[in-house]
Amino acid sequence: MFDVTKVKADFPIFKHHPDLIYLDNASTTQKPGAVIDGVKNFYEKENANIHRGFYKIAIETSKNYQSVRTKAANYLGAADSKNIVFTSGTTESINLVAQSFLEPRLEAGDNVIISAMEHHANLIPWQMLCQKKGAELRVIPMDQTAQLDLSGYKKMLSEKTKMISVVHISNSLGSVNPIEDIIELAHEKDIPVLVDGAQSVMNYEMNIRNLDCDFFVFSAHKIFGPTGVGVLYGKEKWLKKMQPIQFGGDMIKEVSFEKTTFADFPQKFESGTQNLAGVIGLGHTIDYLEKFEKKEVMKYLEMLGKYAIEKLSAIENLKIFGNSNHNSNIISFNLKNIHPHDVATFLAEENIAVRAGQHCTQPAMDLLGIPGTIRASFTIYNSTDEVDKLVKSLKSIQKFFA
Amino acid sequence: MNDRLRALYKTVILEHSNNPMYFEKKEVTQFVLKAHSPICGDRFEFFFDIDDEVVNNLSFYGHGCAISKASASIMVRKLRGQSIRKALTICAEFYNYVNIESALPEPMDEEFEAFSAAKIFPERKKCATLSWDEMSDFLTKYQNQ
Repeated sequence: MFDVTKVKADFPIFKHHPDLIYLDNASTTQKPGAVIDGVKNFYEKENANIHRGFYKIAIETSKNYQSVRTKAANYLGAADSKNIVFTSGTTESINLVAQSFLEPRLEAGDNVIISAMEHHANLIPWQMLCQKKGAELRVIPMDQTAQLDLSGYKKMLSEKTKMISVVHISNSLGSVNPIEDIIELAHEKDIPVLVDGAQSVMNYEMNIRNLDCDFFVFSAHKIFGPTGVGVLYGKEKWLKKMQPIQFGGDMIKEVSFEKTTFADFPQKFESGTQNLAGVIGLGHTIDYLEKFEKKEVMKYLEMLGKYAIEKLSAIENLKIFGNSNHNSNIISFNLKNIHPHDVATFLAEENIAVRAGQHCTQPAMDLLGIPGTIRASFTIYNSTDEVDKLVKSLKSIQKFFA
Repeated sequence: MNDRLRALYKTVILEHSNNPMYFEKKEVTQFVLKAHSPICGDRFEFFFDIDDEVVNNLSFYGHGCAISKASASIMVRKLRGQSIRKALTICAEFYNYVNIESALPEPMDEEFEAFSAAKIFPERKKCATLSWDEMSDFLTKYQNQ
């Protein structure tokens, strides 16, 4: 049985801020003690660089670093730990695929498909590349309920489509996109697909092999892990062919002044000293997540999301954006005639942390014709009590501005 | 509702944000100045002419939070019909109210004083200064041309 009080006690930040109602989890999550201690323990007891030491702690750390690769592979359901590349996060993962995978394959007249609700991190790398190559960036339209238009998408696919990159769960609107369908349709034409899983990796029954996407990316810090570390999953056939875009130590087989031979993947993408503490921290994060029954977590989050939607919908002059049938735990809304920033300032005074603004998805906001939204995003340490407090505060804000 | 919030959302701010002054889009002015905050999404446009070094026919249009909208409204009213030199003096005077290091002037300008609470809400300071930053930057460059 999922016990939210017990879960919350795992997160030391709430001991330091007992009144904090943290509803900004889509931005970054809080960290459990096990992860904080794991990172601290690494620096205190194991710190050494990997792959090049002959002494005990260096060998230990090298082994632990690689074991996180296996953990990440198992967590995603990947075939092999070799499919996992450590990066600094979702943004770097996408940029790596754009520059290393797509750039050599993209020619003038080709096209790349993204969706209307992409985070700037899954828009600009493709836009820049298309501009550089004279290719076209095609955007799957979304309707006013923030759902993607699949028939529009079908029409967009062509012989010239070289890549599709879509967000699984929208960070700004909470829409859960039908990536299974998107992938299937793309694969009928042998087009590779990248899935931005930054918001979905934890809240979704994930099996990368069943999903069959070509690339999958996420950041550790959105699933209770450290900042500055993330994962790029890639199919072997692609990673094998991709050339590194950053060069330096620890990614080579042989170097002379005339020539360099690169190491095999994933090594060749991890040049220089990596974020060792971050990767070790990610390992502890996955250990922490695996203590839970994923089904129970998902059931709890579904209940919490439904409760929040129900309570928020009951507030007069509150408009929820996106499709309320989606259970993504990201709820984007506005109060009529009150700017999201004013609402966020009032909530902050009640120790309720939300995000207000465009959430790095300016084109999506423009499409909906709104300057921004208030976004409340829930996770495993949030409770229905907190939803009630949010609702109470929102009502008092409406009273003040009335 | 606590005192900090009451200080930030003074009546003068609520009045100006609900009923902004000279709030209209104009088609034919010499200048259209944009003020945009990429993080907030606040977006205003200022329409005006400059004749003989005087800022004329100033109006504005756009959207933003209560603080930024009220600030833009007050700025427009204060700078309308002023010489560039005087307008820049008024801008400098405004900054005295929102910059942490400045002491509040005596006697106080009641409208400007409403924004002094930005000192205790540093994350909202940009809301108060957005329009002023763009306008004073524009006028300074214009003057130095």
